[in-house]
Amino acid sequence: MIYDVKHVTTYSHETPVSSTRCAMRLLPRSDAGQTVIRSALELTPKPETSAESTDFFGNRVVEARIATPHAKLRIVMTARVEVRRSEPPAPELTPTWEQVARTAAGSDSLAPDSPAHFIFAGRQTPMSDSVTAYARKSFAPDRPVLESAADLMRRIHKDFTYDPDATDASTPLAEAFEAKSGVCQDFAHIMIAGLRGLGLPAAYVSGYIRTIPHEGQPRLEGADASHAWAAIWCGPEFGWLHLDPTNAIFVGNDHIVVAFGRDYADVSPVDGVIRGGGKQDLQVAVEVKALESAEKPARSEPPVEPKLI
Amino acid sequence: MAAKGQTSSEAGSRSRRLAAWLSGYQPVPGVPDELLDANGRPRAHWVTLLDGLASMGDEDIEHRFAAAGRRINDMGVTYRVPGESGERAWPLSRLPLLLTEAEWSDIAEGVAQRAELLDRILADIYGEGRLIADGALPAAAVTGSPDFIRPMRGVKPPGGRWLRFYAADIGRGPDGKWWVLGDRAQAPSGAGYALQNRLVLSGTFPGLYRDMKARRLAPFFREFREGLAAAAERADPRICLLTPGPWSETYAEQVALARYLGLLLVEGGDLAVSDGRLFVRTIAGLKRADVILRRVDSDWTDPLELNAASHLGVAGLLNVIRQGAVAVANMPGAALVESRALMSFLPVLARRLTGEQLKLPNIATWWCGQDIERAETLESLDDLSIAGAFRENLPGFPGKQALVGAEMDAAQRARLVAAMQDRGVDYVGQEIVKLSTMPVWTEGKLQPRPFSLRIFAAATPQGWRIMPGGFCRVSDQLDVRAVSMDSGAQSADVWVLADRTPDHATLLPPSDGGRIVRVLGLLPSRAADNLFWMSRYLERAEDTLRVVRCLCNRLTDAHTADSGDRQTITRLERLLASWGAVPPPARGAAAVLPTTAMARAAACEEKAYGSALSNARNARRCASIIRERLPQDIWQLMGRLDDRLDRIGARGASEPEIIEHIERALHTLSALSGLIGENFNRVAGWNFLDLGRRVERAINTCRFARQFCDTDATIETLDAMLELIDSQITYRSRYLVGAAVAPLLDIAILDQFNPRSVAFQLARIDEHLAALPALVDDGVLEPQRKLSVRLRGKLAAEAATNLDVSDILSIEQRLMGIADAIGDRYFSDNARRNSLDRPAELA
Repeated sequence: MIYDVKHVTTYSHETPVSSTRCAMRLLPRSDAGQTVIRSALELTPKPETSAESTDFFGNRVVEARIATPHAKLRIVMTARVEVRRSEPPAPELTPTWEQVARTAAGSDSLAPDSPAHFIFAGRQTPMSDSVTAYARKSFAPDRPVLESAADLMRRIHKDFTYDPDATDASTPLAEAFEAKSGVCQDFAHIMIAGLRGLGLPAAYVSGYIRTIPHEGQPRLEGADASHAWAAIWCGPEFGWLHLDPTNAIFVGNDHIVVAFGRDYADVSPVDGVIRGGGKQDLQVAVEVKALESAEKPARSEPPVEPKLI
Repeated sequence: MAAKGQTSSEAGSRSRRLAAWLSGYQPVPGVPDELLDANGRPRAHWVTLLDGLASMGDEDIEHRFAAAGRRINDMGVTYRVPGESGERAWPLSRLPLLLTEAEWSDIAEGVAQRAELLDRILADIYGEGRLIADGALPAAAVTGSPDFIRPMRGVKPPGGRWLRFYAADIGRGPDGKWWVLGDRAQAPSGAGYALQNRLVLSGTFPGLYRDMKARRLAPFFREFREGLAAAAERADPRICLLTPGPWSETYAEQVALARYLGLLLVEGGDLAVSDGRLFVRTIAGLKRADVILRRVDSDWTDPLELNAASHLGVAGLLNVIRQGAVAVANMPGAALVESRALMSFLPVLARRLTGEQLKLPNIATWWCGQDIERAETLESLDDLSIAGAFRENLPGFPGKQALVGAEMDAAQRARLVAAMQDRGVDYVGQEIVKLSTMPVWTEGKLQPRPFSLRIFAAATPQGWRIMPGGFCRVSDQLDVRAVSMDSGAQSADVWVLADRTPDHATLLPPSDGGRIVRVLGLLPSRAADNLFWMSRYLERAEDTLRVVRCLCNRLTDAHTADSGDRQTITRLERLLASWGAVPPPARGAAAVLPTTAMARAAACEEKAYGSALSNARNARRCASIIRERLPQDIWQLMGRLDDRLDRIGARGASEPEIIEHIERALHTLSALSGLIGENFNRVAGWNFLDLGRRVERAINTCRFARQFCDTDATIETLDAMLELIDSQITYRSRYLVGAAVAPLLDIAILDQFNPRSVAFQLARIDEHLAALPALVDDGVLEPQRKLSVRLRGKLAAEAATNLDVSDILSIEQRLMGIADAIGDRYFSDNARRNSLDRPAELA
């Protein structure tokens, strides 16, 4: 499957900002099961300096500095990505979750994908007794790790309400857990915190999901916005497997990965420091189009224009 | 005969005193003590100290101790307890801890070995990673540390070291040997306090200090500074101490250290990254920063790559480090070696990396991320304490630092065991620490108290140098768990007693007070900003007090006042209200306060932002940010001003008393401006202090003139004006008639020879602006200077008879324009730094 993605982020400032310095994790990474054919990031106004590099976890980061005063900053990311993921393994074939926890604690690797990075509390994923207790219900002794994790994913999907107004980017995990509602970011964080509470390596993945559903299927939650899900390390043989608690599905060819980290704080799409500016307004618009697809929908609806241009 | 008799009685009382101290001293059985050996005999060097004290006489001792207390206050040695807004005076034990040279050199060797070992471990973890790949160190014993700064992996530390300034907390165990209790590598605090302790104590007992041949601290600090300088790319580098700011717990220490070492004290907002290099924003533009002594925790140093919420750091700092353009002591990520998890591996790593045993053992530690160690820990839980493997606090037990196995209740125990089964990686088991005791002085008696000792090590091109002394913390309770400054402990100076008289070079300075370097270098924009505002606030406080005094002088016979006086009073009140010097009337209350209440409020009402007290406090707040640049007496006088103003508010103070207190406060203000004029180093920002005062005075004089010299002015309002601008004598010497508007305006606004006139202030402002450095040397006037030149010309050409209120308003506005232009040009816009909002991942 090949996708064209357009992701527009617009900051409007009450009074002009004299300078912006920002780091953007918006360009998708090439990864197992995914190849980035082309990608570009365009800023308005034009930055004085702009450089792309790779962060510790292998994500693409563009750091830019804009020194001309501006009341509006528009960041447009466009990319064409080919996704060809293999089927997830049969859950019952994966090792027991206790074994995975033990292997992770004894890891002898500092490589970016080493499970050793992903078993501790993160900035936005603190350990919580209640979240761990919730997760434990899916982890009977000696149960295969992927079977347990998939069960946890389905329980989160069932027990939590999707509600974009319930939380924002900085809502603490405990609050979303109490309210039993939130968005993909909250569900991913809750799943991650629960897994780590049991000593299991869990990661946060940001990305997209196709906008237009397959024919005859319901539209997936998370289209027209950036999406996020969790990944769990299932031992050296199986490595990282991605699970989407918002939709209760294994991540397959409908998902496009942008960045991989311990939680949202590692992959925040835009981080920055500005001088001046007063109140800010932030608008995001995402469009994901499937190019090559048997059930390619006729142009029944016009391409969704980014909301704020 | 008489003389001889006196001497022997003195000797008698001296030995009686000594004997009484010793016999009253009862150490804890089974715990080693510094004063008494295992057989209960006093050690020789302690006897020397106590005998010296005993020879002084009770009164003399008390006088010296009292003087020491005043010295601590005067030096501004303070610290902050988290959650408190005020600073506390430093609690210094009256007795030093004594260490013999032999004992100290063992400690020094052990600490130097440990510093080198930790530096090599850091180099391996952030570099090749062999220790982990070979299985000598589990990856999770590293990745669990919040100070494993991942973006630093693969980075070569500029200057070649991850660790340049290290401290070990040590204590004497039950076997009499020294043990390492913890490692400090983030930004070890205490060296500055140790220095202050030395200054106070050596001043309290100069004779004893000399006779006991205590080793000096100055050479260590000189080498420390040389080591920092050697880390830089270029000779004569600019070294900055990066502070989290005045709210930091140890800000006073950071100020002292920056002063003593001659470092530029900077906050994150003072620094800027440009073209891959780090710069200080100064009034003369961006100036290269070569070395950073870091007191901001790693995670807060760069909001772009680390904690995005940080306002303490510098966006882009890690990139500059990556490019080798700035050396940082210690490198971000060095605090990784502070974790207890790592401690359990040190004995093995020492043999592997240095081929040696640890010379100073650390307390036995078991990291429970490994099955065998966890099982052993759980088995011997009753003999151990359980602590966090990576963090100060015990995970899952908010507010607890550690739990002692034998002291847990059943519920706690069950919960802890379950948590350790789930997440053993988060916990360590440690043997229980028992510290030895040293004597402290309590109301004329000696008492044993447990203590721990922090030893400092600095990297130099010649290797590690160890401070011959340290930062000793003494518990205030006999039963010791942990000793931290916020739990009522005190600190003690540490005297390392040299075997021979210290060599010549270190004898040169009479005490450790000799400063090593005294070049504060260029003025950072933030410092200039605070100097300017401190001075504006002081002037505003003074002008407010003048108005209040003027008002009080007219109150004494207010009930009989004729309409002229009443009008003056009304105008004075209006002025105070428009300055925000009195709180706005509460809803439903009488619209106007009675005049006396109003005067009192304008002087000392905390809730009115424009009262003299509020202005004085704002001045003090600015001063606290630039304390390292202020002479000590200025800082003290500002405290006194606060006291004086506070006293005006005392209940039941009568009008004459209020006037008296206002006079006193005004005296303090004149003393301050005198000190600033006479004692303030002219290269260290005096321009900005004077600019602030001149700008504020000129603006306020315009305001007075608009209020009292309008077309409805009366003799009485003009008199008030003369009083406010302190120009009665000038006026009367020139004009025989009573006050009239035009001559008065001439004196107040245009007269270049009257030191309180607007024209006089403007001339000084213009001179300062001409003297300050230009950004570009192209001969074109900078905007702020253009404005001052123009306004100066206008005032020179103006005639008083043509001036009306609207002209004065326009002058006032142009003055404010000059103040704004000064701000735009010279001051950093740190206050306006902000973070971009983060887009949520919604779906």
